[in-house]
Amino acid sequence: MIQRSLRLIGGPADIGRTPLFWVGFAVAVAFFLLYPTQVSSFRASNVAYYLLNVPMGLGMALLWGYCGVLSFGHVAYFGIAAYLYGIIAGNMAGSSWGPLVGVGGGLLGCAIVAAIFGYFVFYARVQKWIIPILTLVFTLLLETFLGQTAGYQWRVGTVLLGGYNGMTGIPWFQLGGFVFEGYSFYYLCLGIVILTYFGLRMLMNAKFGQVVVAMREDELRTEMLGFDTRFRQCAVFVISAMLAGLSGLLYVQWGNYITPSQVGLLQAALPVVWTAVGGRTSLLAVVIATIVLNWLTYTLSSQGNQYAMVIIGGLLVVTMMFFPRGIVVMLAETIGRRPWRRRQAAEGRS
Amino acid sequence: MSGAVLLETKALSKRFGGVVAANNIDFTVTEGELRCLIGPNGAGKSTLFSMLCGIQKADSGEIYAFGKRVTHRQAFHRVRRGLGLTFQSNRAFHDLSVAENLAIPRKPLHARSHQKAAERYRYALDAFGLDPADQTRSGELSHDQLQWLEIAMVLAGFPDLVMLDEPTAGMATEETNRTAEVLKALQDSGLTLLVVEHDMAFVRLVADSVTVLHQGTIFAEGTVEDITTSEAVRSIYLGKA
Repeated sequence: MIQRSLRLIGGPADIGRTPLFWVGFAVAVAFFLLYPTQVSSFRASNVAYYLLNVPMGLGMALLWGYCGVLSFGHVAYFGIAAYLYGIIAGNMAGSSWGPLVGVGGGLLGCAIVAAIFGYFVFYARVQKWIIPILTLVFTLLLETFLGQTAGYQWRVGTVLLGGYNGMTGIPWFQLGGFVFEGYSFYYLCLGIVILTYFGLRMLMNAKFGQVVVAMREDELRTEMLGFDTRFRQCAVFVISAMLAGLSGLLYVQWGNYITPSQVGLLQAALPVVWTAVGGRTSLLAVVIATIVLNWLTYTLSSQGNQYAMVIIGGLLVVTMMFFPRGIVVMLAETIGRRPWRRRQAAEGRS
Repeated sequence: MSGAVLLETKALSKRFGGVVAANNIDFTVTEGELRCLIGPNGAGKSTLFSMLCGIQKADSGEIYAFGKRVTHRQAFHRVRRGLGLTFQSNRAFHDLSVAENLAIPRKPLHARSHQKAAERYRYALDAFGLDPADQTRSGELSHDQLQWLEIAMVLAGFPDLVMLDEPTAGMATEETNRTAEVLKALQDSGLTLLVVEHDMAFVRLVADSVTVLHQGTIFAEGTVEDITTSEAVRSIYLGKA
């Protein structure tokens, strides 16, 4: 079991397989583990914000990079999970089970909505280039709907949806009597990022991942090898939506509020930018890009720069022009992080 | 051939606007045979091939595979029943390694003899010089190797009936002959094959039986000798019929 897991983690589905890479990885994890001990809870909270976006970035990498399906509206699932958590946990306020039920409800809600959306898209064999438009329309509709939920009549139980002001006072996540806030929330985010990364790395190195990549390469060929590509694309869409939902759940813990702008156009573009800039065919690249770009956005914004998003957008354009496979991926290739590919290719030729 | 009918069509028809691509085609492939499907350009070979494997839907008529009606079944269902196919243009996964290409195919639910199918697969790997552990990116292979890789990928799914659309297109004589040898050996091991082919030299090398399509209908059927000596068949290839 452990041997199989290690084999799957070390498979070729992502950059970084050498002992040197794993040493660097361990150093990076140690840095993040020790970081809160050296800084204020405010700074740790900022880094927690960067980390909580990683599952959504990874979901985008899975869907776009590995499966070849671009969603421009995955923040819809971020919002669905966040709102559902707020509604469930808010109505169960006072119960230590409320937040846990809220997390389950949020993820389940994401899965159901994504499965219904995915069913109509993939089983109808909608062409790939239309999917980004459909997903964007979906999230903009959701934003518009949530924006008009101001007023007392828009309440679920005791929880007000709040219109454009959003939902506030959302309870912290807790397990039993232990509440995840401050430093413990930081470690919760870090733990989820690491688990999600390794989980996806194993998934993509398993047979399921091989077939997902095959679908990206040639959907018809994959189907003619006996696979129901519609079902598998739908499954990847649901997993990816649940990862976006996981980020949404962490986000409402982080700020204890959620507003419709979180499912708006600007937010919808961000996961696409993180994934494209890092390199959509690498999970690690997307983890790095998500953290770095969130840090960059926060740093620029906090210094009074009104053009943070313009700069991030410019970075996307530069990436598309000069680093079409993503900056991190192309850097990794350049410095020889994938020598096994070349060596084995050379052996194969000879 | 006295074997069981593995693939059968009844009054299969398909139109594209005013063009009749397939017109009431009754066609069978029996167990153990290697049948070639030939015909001049526009005869309807590709349309029939696409309908048989489920890529295109027939306007009318029925398709039976392994005794079950599959007319309205999705392509992957037919593959799971034991059908395998290669396309006219090579569609191996060029960005994946040889090993990954060979690892992906799914084993059918109803493979009659896994042991035999596994032996066929291993034989094809040896005969084509393919290594299932080879990490070479398949896009770096030569055209011939890619064609062979795709055939091996299909065999990795343990099919009972393999449909090949011009498997030797673009191959030199030596490679064509080698492909023919392998296909004949696979047939001898019990595999049933349906090959769409233009190259009559290749057809002579491999075919037990030949079906000639012309203007969307079956124009002639018979042995290779029957077909190659038929004046009527020659005339349609020369545009006289």
